[in-house]
Amino acid sequence: MIQFEHLTKTYNGINAVEDLSAEIRDGEIYGLLGPNGAGKSTTILMLTGLIEPTAGRCLVAGMDVTKNPVAVKERIGYMPEDVGFYANLSAEENLDYFARLYRMDRDVQKKKISDLLSLVGLDGVTKEVGGYSKGMRQRLGLAKALLNDPSVIVLDEPTANLDPQGVADYRRIITGIAGSGTTVFVSSHILAEVSRVCTRVGILARGRLIVQGSVQELAGRIGSCGEHRTVIRIESRSPMPVFQHPAITGTEYSNDRCSATVTATEDLRDVIADYLAVNGILIRQLSKDECSLEDTFLSFYQEAS
Amino acid sequence: MMAEKTSGLFTVAHKEFFDHITSRKFILIFSIFLVIAIIGMIGGIAQYQKDLKTYTDQRSATSSSIVTGYMSDRPSVMTVFATIATYLSFLGAILGIAMGFDLVTKEKESKSLKILLSHPIYRDEVINGKALGGIAALFLALAIILSLSLATLLIYGIVPDGGELVLIAVFGAVSFLFIFTYFSIALFMSTVSSDSGSALIFTMIIFIVISSLLPTMTNDTVMETIAGTPPQMPLELLDQMKINVDNSSKNTLVSFSDAGSSPAWNDYNTKMQAYWEKRTAIQGVFALFSPTMNYDSITQKITSAVTTKQLSYRSSGSATTAVTISSSSSLSSFDTSDHKDTDIAGILGGIIPNLVALLVFPACFFALSYAKFMRMDVR
Repeated sequence: MIQFEHLTKTYNGINAVEDLSAEIRDGEIYGLLGPNGAGKSTTILMLTGLIEPTAGRCLVAGMDVTKNPVAVKERIGYMPEDVGFYANLSAEENLDYFARLYRMDRDVQKKKISDLLSLVGLDGVTKEVGGYSKGMRQRLGLAKALLNDPSVIVLDEPTANLDPQGVADYRRIITGIAGSGTTVFVSSHILAEVSRVCTRVGILARGRLIVQGSVQELAGRIGSCGEHRTVIRIESRSPMPVFQHPAITGTEYSNDRCSATVTATEDLRDVIADYLAVNGILIRQLSKDECSLEDTFLSFYQEAS
Repeated sequence: MMAEKTSGLFTVAHKEFFDHITSRKFILIFSIFLVIAIIGMIGGIAQYQKDLKTYTDQRSATSSSIVTGYMSDRPSVMTVFATIATYLSFLGAILGIAMGFDLVTKEKESKSLKILLSHPIYRDEVINGKALGGIAALFLALAIILSLSLATLLIYGIVPDGGELVLIAVFGAVSFLFIFTYFSIALFMSTVSSDSGSALIFTMIIFIVISSLLPTMTNDTVMETIAGTPPQMPLELLDQMKINVDNSSKNTLVSFSDAGSSPAWNDYNTKMQAYWEKRTAIQGVFALFSPTMNYDSITQKITSAVTTKQLSYRSSGSATTAVTISSSSSLSSFDTSDHKDTDIAGILGGIIPNLVALLVFPACFFALSYAKFMRMDVR
């Protein structure tokens, strides 16, 4: 549904985005991760036709965004990070104005706006948007992004200002929409949020896409805890013997030798379990440290740096 | 495709129009202007009625005897609009600036421009829609002012004739063009500036330069530096000169008996005419760069052309040449031609260069705004 082909954007001789190539399939929730200044928002602005790439192109449903901006905008729903509305209009009036740009039937438009405001929890709020909190604006931004029943939704930091209820509502809405075949492209630096919602993530650093895949794939590719090593924690009911194996790079024991932390270049849990069984040691716990998305992200980012 | 494009344009224009007419700054400036215009109208009407009475008295006096001399022409209703023109040349500019200076920057600041342009709408529809909405609001404002002015005239029992109605329409159109000029300058500044404060400051600088600095450049001292001093009247002519002061019209009338046959007079006349043509040409060049000067020039011609006109009566077959120094003009003018009734076509013909200059200004600034907006990165 979305394709980036060697996408590059240069500002004053510096590449904000450099040779970005990726493909996002129908119904996928794709998360673009990266620190501030990595090029996430620039990528999104090129995807939504608000800025033109210096080189390369973005395709939405096979259409070049630069060549067919209006046709592409008919199919996408976009919510920017700093979502802005007309402060002197109410939520309904703002949505009504934007809906007219989609040339929707008036009756359909009215019902759609009512349904969307109800969906994001802003039904019955009649005050002008100028008096909204950031979270309310973000909710309205989500409603606006869904106004035209888009086949692609582009969200820039969608949960940045939401309260816990807002985040829960956002997750429910996004997963529901993706389930009906809509492609969702999310940019965020809130890693936990991305890991919970996205089916695939790409990590952007200094304008370059350094890696992409599912959260599990990325964690598997890097090992555990962001380094090329596995950490295994063992607890036993009686003192353990000394572990010896070529893959082991270090072992730390407690004073009573009933707990140990083994660092190895590969997962040795089965080997350790067998060794302890042979020596008649009963195991209380045997676990490998799981790598969080944050660890994975930092690891890839440090590698790219 | 075309219908779709028009739809976006009118959607934006519709919103902009209502934003303008409901905005506090528009309502405030328009209200002040309306009050001043009505008060000015009433004052103008009182003066008009006084001039009309003088004219009627003079006419009844001259109809009973054969005289040699001058008589004021019938005063025109257009004189009433002179006051409105005076206020419009300042308040109109302020209204135009107030309407345009934050048209784009406000959307940049509130981030709504990013949202707007992410919809299926062409950029030219947005900038054209903003201009169209502004034009519609200005048109409404001027239509209200002119309608109230006409209504005030009718309340006082003054019914403009066909020619005067044409001139009122021209006055309205020129005033609209003048306010739109400042609107387009402000729109341009709003497009190129990052925030409304900067846009307002830059617009005000341009306003001061073209409305105050350029007219200052055309004062007598500067003009005499550029065009030289005017030719002096030969002493022999001064001795022959008779000076009459027409108290009723406050115009100073200087006349010469059989002056047309004097070679010294003819020589002086030719030199003076050449001098004033040179000055007028230099002033014209300055005026081209000042919408305020163009507007003042046009409205002066429309509203005062008839009142400064003098009627010359032939007596005993001898030609009478008049030199009229108009008291209503801020700049001295020198007119040595035999006066004839100035018709509407003549007035309209006389304002064409100023009108063209007044058209060029908004066209240029709007074109620049358009070009900038179309290429602008929205971040």
